[in-house]
Amino acid sequence: MSTAVSDLLATPGDPEIAVSIQNLCKTYPVSFARLKRFLRRNFKSPVEALRNISFEVHDGEIFGLIGPNGAGKTTLVKTVATLIQPTNGFVTVHGYDSVRDDEQVRRIVGLAGAEERSFYWRLTAMQNLMFFARLYGLGGRAGKEKIDKLFDLFELKELAQRRFAELSTGNKQRLSIARAMLADPPVLLLDEPTRSLDPIAAARMREVIKALTHDRRVTVFLTSHNLSEVEELCNRVAIISKGQVQALDSPQRLRPTHTPTENISIIFSAGAADKIEEDLRSAFTDHFLTLGRADLQDEWTIKFSRARGDDALDKVLKVLQQAGAVIQGVEIERASLFDVLESYEQTEKTTEAQS
Amino acid sequence: MNAVLMFARRVWAFVVRDWRLELSYRMQFFLRVLSILIVVTTLFFISKIFTGFTDPRFAQWRDPLAAWLTGLAVLNYFMTGFSSLANAIRQEQMQGTLESVLMTPISVPTVIVASSAWDFVQATFFSFLYIFFGWLFFNVHYRGSFLLALAFLVLTTLVLACLGILSASFAMVFKRGDPFGVFLGTGAALFSGVFFPTQLVSEYAGHGIALVSRILPPTYGLDGIRRVLIEGQGVAEVRGPLLTLLGFLVVLLPFSLWVFKRAVRRAKRDGSLIQY
Repeated sequence: MSTAVSDLLATPGDPEIAVSIQNLCKTYPVSFARLKRFLRRNFKSPVEALRNISFEVHDGEIFGLIGPNGAGKTTLVKTVATLIQPTNGFVTVHGYDSVRDDEQVRRIVGLAGAEERSFYWRLTAMQNLMFFARLYGLGGRAGKEKIDKLFDLFELKELAQRRFAELSTGNKQRLSIARAMLADPPVLLLDEPTRSLDPIAAARMREVIKALTHDRRVTVFLTSHNLSEVEELCNRVAIISKGQVQALDSPQRLRPTHTPTENISIIFSAGAADKIEEDLRSAFTDHFLTLGRADLQDEWTIKFSRARGDDALDKVLKVLQQAGAVIQGVEIERASLFDVLESYEQTEKTTEAQS
Repeated sequence: MNAVLMFARRVWAFVVRDWRLELSYRMQFFLRVLSILIVVTTLFFISKIFTGFTDPRFAQWRDPLAAWLTGLAVLNYFMTGFSSLANAIRQEQMQGTLESVLMTPISVPTVIVASSAWDFVQATFFSFLYIFFGWLFFNVHYRGSFLLALAFLVLTTLVLACLGILSASFAMVFKRGDPFGVFLGTGAALFSGVFFPTQLVSEYAGHGIALVSRILPPTYGLDGIRRVLIEGQGVAEVRGPLLTLLGFLVVLLPFSLWVFKRAVRRAKRDGSLIQY
């Protein structure tokens, strides 16, 4: 990336809270419900997309929103972007109300949605961005310079004169993020920012996002299905399911809270593995251990799980050393956000089945 | 930044965008110019059937070709005023670009003016072609104050644009099935005197049906423009239709803006901005 992110963005305001969401509810109403009720016609019940959501996103933070399809992530992002009006509760962005001060909110929020259709397909990438730049008040040379820098940052320069329809899905996505950054917004809403990017482009995109918050304190509010990406990028993560926030914390703290065990593999070389297995089984009657041959001859792998922080690993290592084994490596497989999300979905299914 | 400059810049952005989109369909433009030439030529030959048979009661129709060309040119402009915003909204909904436009800090009145701007540029050109081809190839001449005729044109277009805003509000909320379009689109050609004098409606269909002519704003616009350009009347003589159009505008403008704002709010509440 040849253009520094700091060159692209003006200094935003600096209040503590960038986005504040309070008791937010969104119910999609049924069209002509009263009329249908009057005519005694059956109609589907209204869809509750968001249910009493409250949290705050701090200035300069990368905040992640994860959850299964239909959980309400996009509705939440669009509500912050003023494109959807809440049924109850409110959203403020740097103190501006998303309904009352919607025009002001749109000045300070950039949205890169997952919707490919949001561009004019018969116009070139440059013409598309020039149109939106003018709507943000950037005309002529200032707009052109800004767009050139963004094309440089997102490696789109060679595609500037290509029609949008001719761009690959990944490049369309990069153009969408470039558009969101046209007005140097202090708050960026990114709906699955690396969804269609190849691994290298996705890694570069993550670097850009990190640099935005690091260099210019831009607040990034992102949704993603790529949980390792969320773990890598986000300071805090909210897990949303059925329109409700199930958990909100840093990825590091979410993992132990919801999946308290971890799997351990130890690779060692020893002549008499049978004797070692016997010693281990007599020492650890309360742990389930497996012993198998590793790829190389005379190398063995022992696998077991332990509660985080207990002394099982120390004890196993002591037994191995006393038996004369040489430790080749130890791998600790900690729970990921995927496990956390999965545990929530599992709990949800169980609750549903019980009810 | 100066608000006027910002407004102009945004309107310009829409005009440039639509011009470029139009350029990507070059053939359509040439076919439309050709079709206007064919229509004007056809009307010229039809007008020859009536040479010497004009009813003296209808002063505006002494030269039927001049009356038809005025009617078509003006109707084209009026219909643009009426339909351009709804079409633009529908188009943006179908393309999926409405959300990204409304995501920018652009006000509702700016969206209304800017979305229609290119259509007016185009309509001005095509309406001019009707008059120009008539003058160039078929010796059609106009008299009277072009400025006064322009005032009628602008006023009627504004009134119809108000109805267009109401129509766009329907498109925003109900997506399809706009009642204004049916009423004005078919009604204007039949009852507003585009192809024949409105007096004939009351003579043949009775006063009840003729009332329809009286509630359609294009009737007053067309009557005023023909009185000025064909009969050469001045401000004092065309005061009637002028004031009627002003009355329409005073009532419809604030009402239509209020309805459109509510329609945008409703679409946001339903989460249906990009649905069509």
